Order: sequence, then C-alpha cells, then structure tokens
Amino acid sequence: MIYYFFLVISIALVITALLSIYFRDLLAAIVSYAVFSLVLTVLYFLLDAPDVAIAEAGIGAALTTCIFVIAIRMTRRREE
Amino acid sequence: MRLISVVAIVVIFGFIFVGILHLHPIGEPVGNPRILYERPPLGIDTQGVTIMDDYFLRNGQVETGSNNIVASIVFDYRGFDTLGEATVLFIVVSSISMLFFTFLKSKSIVSAGVPRARQFPRIESRIITFGAFLMYIMILSFGIYLVVHGHVSPGGGFQGGSVMASATALLLISFYITRHMQRTRKIFSFFESLGLTIFIGMGFAGIGISFLYNFLAHGTTVFGKIIPFGPNPGYLISAGILPWLSLAVGIEVFFGLSLILVTLFHASGVKNNL
Repeated sequence: MIYYFFLVISIALVITALLSIYFRDLLAAIVSYAVFSLVLTVLYFLLDAPDVAIAEAGIGAALTTCIFVIAIRMTRRREE
Repeated sequence: MRLISVVAIVVIFGFIFVGILHLHPIGEPVGNPRILYERPPLGIDTQGVTIMDDYFLRNGQVETGSNNIVASIVFDYRGFDTLGEATVLFIVVSSISMLFFTFLKSKSIVSAGVPRARQFPRIESRIITFGAFLMYIMILSFGIYLVVHGHVSPGGGFQGGSVMASATALLLISFYITRHMQRTRKIFSFFESLGLTIFIGMGFAGIGISFLYNFLAHGTTVFGKIIPFGPNPGYLISAGILPWLSLAVGIEVFFGLSLILVTLFHASGVKNNL
C-alpha cells in the first residue's frame, strides 16, 4: 500500500520539477518549486525522517521561496 | 552536445537506480536486527555490536540520557561536526552582510529624491496582515517548541531555528517593515554571535576530559537524570549539555537566517529606487 504512496509522490516530484523549469513567469516557477519542496517533505516523513522533513519544510518551502521573491523584486518578473 | 547531455542523464539515473536497489528496508537497523532487544536497562553494553549504527542504537539513550537518538548523535557523538556547521552558517551570514555593505552603508540612498509613497509598494490588505500576524505567533511557538524539546522529540536547534526564521520571512513579506533596519541588523548580528559563543563556551566547559564532553550527564542534580533503556514519557530536564547546545544552535540559526532575510529585503528596497 505504501509503495503506491511512493509512486504518487515520485510522479508529483517529477511534474513539479519540470513545471518549475517550464514556466516563463518566474513567480509561477518559484511557487512550483515551493510545491516541490512540500512534496519532498511528505517523502521524508514517509521515510521515517521527521527532523529532515521539518528542516526541508522550513528552509526549502519557506525561506528559499522568500529569498527568490525578494530577488524578483530586485530584477524582473518575466524571463525572456 | 545534445547527445552528450542525454548520455550524462542516462548515466546519472543509472547510478541512482543502482543505489535504490541497494537500500535496506525502511525502519530496519542496518546491522544486527536484534540490536534493540535483550539489553540490560543501565550501563554500556556492546554485546552483538558489529558496526557503529549498532552502538548508537544500543547505547545512545543510556549514555547521553536523550530519547532522540538523532540529537544524541548530532550534539554529543558528533558535536564537533555540528560546531563546523554552525561556523559555516556564521561565515555565510558574514559574507552576505559584506556583499551588501555598499548598498546599506548610507541611509541617504534610501530616500534620495524619491517620494515617500513610491519607496516601498505597500499592501493595504487587512486580511493579509491579520492572517500573517496570527500565523507568525503559531509558527514562532512551534519553532520554540522544536528547539526546547530537541533532545526529547524529533527536531532540534537547526530545525527549530529555520522554522522561526520562516516566521520572520512571513512577517517581512506581508508587512513590508522598512523602519529601524540598521538597528535590527545590529541586534540580530549580536544575538547570532551570542549563540555561537554559547556553543563554544559549553564545549570549553568540559575541557577537563575533552572538548564538547557531556559533563552534565550522569550524576549532576540539574540535567543529569539517569534514563534507563526503553520507552519513557520524556523528561525535559535531562541529557546533560544537549538542551544547551540545541538552544545555542537554535538562537544562532534563527538570528543568522533572519539577518540574511532582513539584509536582502533592505537591499532590494534600495536597489528598486536607484
């Protein structure tokens, strides 16, 4: 049963990673990257590593997103 | 060029799949599968120990008094590596501050010839600010819980500090705080240095036996509660210097990451108006 969870999570990881490359709107790419980190958090939790999951949720999903949003504020929103 | 990249991707994924095939089952010890059974409740016991994982699993709880084996490895057996991590974070924060020093050197750049209203686009939304304020309190409480209970439940200084720093990120993005930036950065850098100093000071306090020796565990009345092997409800006042090291790392990570965020946010406001 848990292997189906792993399958769904792996497919979601690949889809969100490809979306964050595909988007020309950089804000959408950042949001997709945050979703990638959040799905990775669930994967870490299922692999019995709750402390790594907390660190991933704090740094990957929140702090990195905030720093990228600040970087967009300094530059431009759309990629040429 | 395209052929080379395709070959590289195939080779990398091949290595990853070979690694996946050699994973051991989830939740099983790598070495001796009976390592957690038939153990006397007190004292160091190395019966059936073949590799280092077995030693940590069999003796970690009794030797350090910490229920969380990961915390006992991170702060006790491998405390010197944690000191290295904290130093790396300190160097990163220092270099970011140096990189943006020319942006933030003079206050006059911020308000040079730009109308006050155009300086920072402010979101006038009551929903966002009130919701962010409520979430700020909850995220900060969760981070403090993680730091304080680092030696009892999953978590620790680094995790709790990063969670608290994400609360700072939420506050910055939703409220657009632009006042007292210089003073905030000074206070944050002071507390970041204080966290690292507490860590090194706790390391030097046990210098009679070795650097970062857990001198408070076993015997002292304050944090030296003797924990027998097996499940227990979890004692907050236990595990020797582990709570202190966790607290030090938590302070250092929270104020260091918050300092990065505040510096970048301030610098982005300056750059926007030039």
